[in-house]
Amino acid sequence: MATKKSPSGASYVGGGKWKEIWRRFKKNRGAVIGLIMLAVLAAVLLGAPLFVFYEEAITQNMEFMLEKPSAAHIFGNDGYGRDIFARIIYGGRVSVAIAILATICSCLVGSFLGAIAGYFGGVVDSVIMRSLDIFMSVPDILFTMAVVYALGANFVNLIVALTLAYFTNYVRLVRSEVLTLSEQDYVEASRAGGAGGLRIILSHIIPNAIGVIIVNTTLNIAKIIIYESTLSFLGLGMPAPQPEWGQMLSEAREFMRKAPHLMFFPALSIVITACSVNLIGDGLRDALDPHLKS
Amino acid sequence: MSKKRIISFLLAAMMLLSLCTACGPSGEGNTGGGDEDTLYLRLSTALQSTDWQQTAIMESSKITYIQLFEGLYGMDESAGGYYNLLAKDVQLSEDNLTYTIELVDATFQNGDPLTAEDVVFSYQLAMENPKFGYVTSMIDTVEAQGDKIVVVTLKFPYSAISHTFFTIKIYSKREYQEIVDSGVTFGTTPHTAGTGPYYVSEYDISAGVKLKAYENYWQGAPAIKNVEYRLITEDAAAVIAFENGELDYLIDAPLSEWEDIEAAAGERCTLQKANDIQFLAINYQSPSNNGILANPKVREAIFYAVNKDNVVKAATSGYGTAATEYMVPDYVATSPRVTDGKFETYDYSKEKCHQALLDAGFTEEEIAAGIPVGTIVTYNSDTAPKAKAAVVIQACLAENGMIAEVEIGENAPITDRLYKLDYDMCVYADSGNYDYNNIRQQVHSESVGMYVVCYKDDKNTFDWQKIESLVDQGVQTADVGERYDIYTELWSMVMDTATILPLYHNAVGIAWSDRVELASIDPFYYHLTDFSWAK
Amino acid sequence: MHKYIAKRILFLIPTIIGVTLIIYLVMNITPGDPGRSILGSGVSQADVDAYNHLIGYDLPFFQKFLNYLKDVFLHLDFGISYVTKQPVFHEIWPRYIMTLKLAFIGMVLSTVIGIPLGMYAAVKQYSPMDTAASIISFLLAAIPTFVLGLVLLFFFALKLKWLPSYGIPDWSGYIMPALAISLPIAAQNFRFTKSSMLDAIRQDYVRTARAKGATEQLVIWKHVLKNALLPVITQVGMSLGLLLCGAVVAEQLFSIQGIGSLIVERITYKDEPVIIAGTILISICFTVVMLVVDVIYAMIDPRIRAKYTKTSKR
Repeated sequence: MATKKSPSGASYVGGGKWKEIWRRFKKNRGAVIGLIMLAVLAAVLLGAPLFVFYEEAITQNMEFMLEKPSAAHIFGNDGYGRDIFARIIYGGRVSVAIAILATICSCLVGSFLGAIAGYFGGVVDSVIMRSLDIFMSVPDILFTMAVVYALGANFVNLIVALTLAYFTNYVRLVRSEVLTLSEQDYVEASRAGGAGGLRIILSHIIPNAIGVIIVNTTLNIAKIIIYESTLSFLGLGMPAPQPEWGQMLSEAREFMRKAPHLMFFPALSIVITACSVNLIGDGLRDALDPHLKS
Repeated sequence: MSKKRIISFLLAAMMLLSLCTACGPSGEGNTGGGDEDTLYLRLSTALQSTDWQQTAIMESSKITYIQLFEGLYGMDESAGGYYNLLAKDVQLSEDNLTYTIELVDATFQNGDPLTAEDVVFSYQLAMENPKFGYVTSMIDTVEAQGDKIVVVTLKFPYSAISHTFFTIKIYSKREYQEIVDSGVTFGTTPHTAGTGPYYVSEYDISAGVKLKAYENYWQGAPAIKNVEYRLITEDAAAVIAFENGELDYLIDAPLSEWEDIEAAAGERCTLQKANDIQFLAINYQSPSNNGILANPKVREAIFYAVNKDNVVKAATSGYGTAATEYMVPDYVATSPRVTDGKFETYDYSKEKCHQALLDAGFTEEEIAAGIPVGTIVTYNSDTAPKAKAAVVIQACLAENGMIAEVEIGENAPITDRLYKLDYDMCVYADSGNYDYNNIRQQVHSESVGMYVVCYKDDKNTFDWQKIESLVDQGVQTADVGERYDIYTELWSMVMDTATILPLYHNAVGIAWSDRVELASIDPFYYHLTDFSWAK
Repeated sequence: MHKYIAKRILFLIPTIIGVTLIIYLVMNITPGDPGRSILGSGVSQADVDAYNHLIGYDLPFFQKFLNYLKDVFLHLDFGISYVTKQPVFHEIWPRYIMTLKLAFIGMVLSTVIGIPLGMYAAVKQYSPMDTAASIISFLLAAIPTFVLGLVLLFFFALKLKWLPSYGIPDWSGYIMPALAISLPIAAQNFRFTKSSMLDAIRQDYVRTARAKGATEQLVIWKHVLKNALLPVITQVGMSLGLLLCGAVVAEQLFSIQGIGSLIVERITYKDEPVIIAGTILISICFTVVMLVVDVIYAMIDPRIRAKYTKTSKR
């Protein structure tokens, strides 16, 4: 999102840096709650087969169509009589996987470009930044819609589309980080010592910029999860039978009055996930940027 | 900063905001019950055109085909019959080839009298349009004899000609040509070139459509003078609009909210059987999985696995009807009837499905592991009935030892693939069938771009010559009983190929407000002339 | 300063051309067939080929693109819609205006809700109001727009019957869609303003001003606001992109005839000329707003000039 200041004070402390950050992070109540929520969520999603089998999520049982939550089906059943609890769990795996993968891809692509632009400057910088301006001029949603439309909606293409829509943040972020860092003495020193460009980027600049990148990455994951559901609403999300939160929400829309629980549970899952990730992101930012903390 | 200050700041901001919104142009029309003398209806997508030839979406055609234009024949879908409309009298020659039609004394909305010349002109336009080949290809010539007599000569006897007389609507030749000569594409602007009871007074593709009654309509001025179509894309919003009294008539109401509609409409709503067929088609020529679908036993197994009741529940909220025939016999007199037991229906049966798979040469282990049979494709959005049917079928197959994928895409690219036979299985639909001859578009090899299964192939897998000759025979026979026998034989042959499985007939939910009274209820084409204000 | 603005405006041209190129490129990944789409399925392949040749569809990509650019920017000719067979521009313009109106109302709304609340929350940190606003903003940032819109729809249109359930019959029609798209952005503006203010409050010069005995009000209004609101301006400009994203959803949900609902509708028919034109027009608007934001920023903040000269040397 916005370009924050460089993590000035904490930039070039060695291994103690992370301990210090963790100490500050722990003091943030919201962030700890977020971390716990996320840990529970991760455990549930990763350990899904321990709770319920995938078959439950896709097996239809028409006599339970739109059934309210009960002991047998704690979240009730959807329009095909499928168990919503199972669909939430297995759908969460897909949603979160897409969000994480898309974030990682956009982070890698964006950081790489940003580092190159910042480090080499000059023509390279101009070319990258001017192309970036162009990319940023197309609103995310339209760009993603165009890409999904052109390539078709499936797991891989969604990741490609979301990566293309979100990598721009990282370029700006990492570039400005690099610009600040490359003026630091130790970078100058290693340059004087004959270290090559790539090595300096890899060994000094990226590790020092990592804090800001992580903050941005966490916040992005939440955004992408919400974004996926918007795409599903517009009919450009994951193909039908496989459970996915956004698609579940979008499917539930027509039963909103008859069976509101169909919409409630996936919406709740999205809100919980996004909130916990956001809380962690905020906590991390505060921990990395100590002078914000009172 | 004191609280007072903040509150005043906020207030100022709110005022600024309300100013901003109030400055925006305040559109046309108004909310709520609206004008006393305007009837409000819903459009879920914009009216495509004011030209009946250019409307492909049913919803748009319901306006152009009935309210704006008229044909020689009208159609009463609930009674399955055609009646004379612009044709006052029709004489058929001995050889069943020449129709001599006398026209009624109607006038176009622009005041011009309807003449034979207009009819000839309109038929020629339609005959030049390949889209209407299915209703015009049998016509040899259309000629005017004087002002009020039209002679239609056919290439061969054709008993389904009524549907042609219904489908082809009559333009005012003078106005049509004037509009085209002025450089405007006909259909993109309001016009008065039809004889129908209403004409378009305002047409804005992005906002909606307004109709006005044609006071000199030849059957008498309509009771309701102003009609406005409101564009409401979201189903939930349409239902709320109806409940709030913002709509007077809701057709094709979303079935998942039917209970709410019933609660709001009370007596003033009805569910009717739609005149459509949703079916599962299997492309026996598909090369997927080593041509597994070429094996008739596999196709039979797929059909036996489909639980139509579940399909109906999921796709139509249980309001539709499981189908065994291609057309609804209530609406089509010559349609084969399942009660006669003369054709295979592949009723849901786990045992028969299992046996068919064994007969196809699969072992118990293979069946237990799941046999991949390909992809079920369909179009429309994920929440549309066809997609739901596909998802249910996928689950049915999985329950019976077959693994299928589901692919749901946009209309245009998917139907294009279906017509090119580039698919394994599909959920497809046919609608608006009032004569059994319409099945030609599905089973005759000449209906390129309409069928999704082609029975004519190099290997002569099926007796396609026989199928096509039955189609021709059926349409050249006049006697209803004989036609019924021919079509029963035809449908039995088609079912034996195990390529088309009728799934269900939709239900059409219709509800209307207490402001109006309806003289009759049509499950498909409604007539605005049937509406009147309640006292 | 003038040079900066002039240069910035001049740069608009390559940006817009670049945007057009990207969209045109993406949309051409899958080969289309305008001739077939416009003429219909009943026309012979020869006629279709002839038509494609006539409109230059068989040219190599870049030539095609140059022709498109020329048509678009010299004649406002975006081609012919495959669905309505009408010039695209004619159809798209009124809907474009509608979307812009919605997005700008959303922008105003999100600004007047988010920023004052953010300011208040920063000044009165840990007050009940701050906590409440923070929690709400947190939740709003985690709810998809269409869910929010549906909730509004059921609440205001069905339960309370205050607002029309679809379309824009008069000003009241704007309320729900504008709220649906602006509340998440307002939440974002709130958070941003708050942290920006907190940031500024802790700066040395504020401390100095306080130490010099300036009243709290004076400090806030004179020193903090001026510095804290600068980045907020960029934030508000950037939020237009998100508002446009929301507008696509809101138009669909509330049956508003804007460009977003048009694109979504036409995707079903593969109506490429309309999809491309809509995307380009929206992007141009976004680009122009970003330009305005940059210029305002540069005018308010003298530091930018220095920064600008520094980066240009690099």
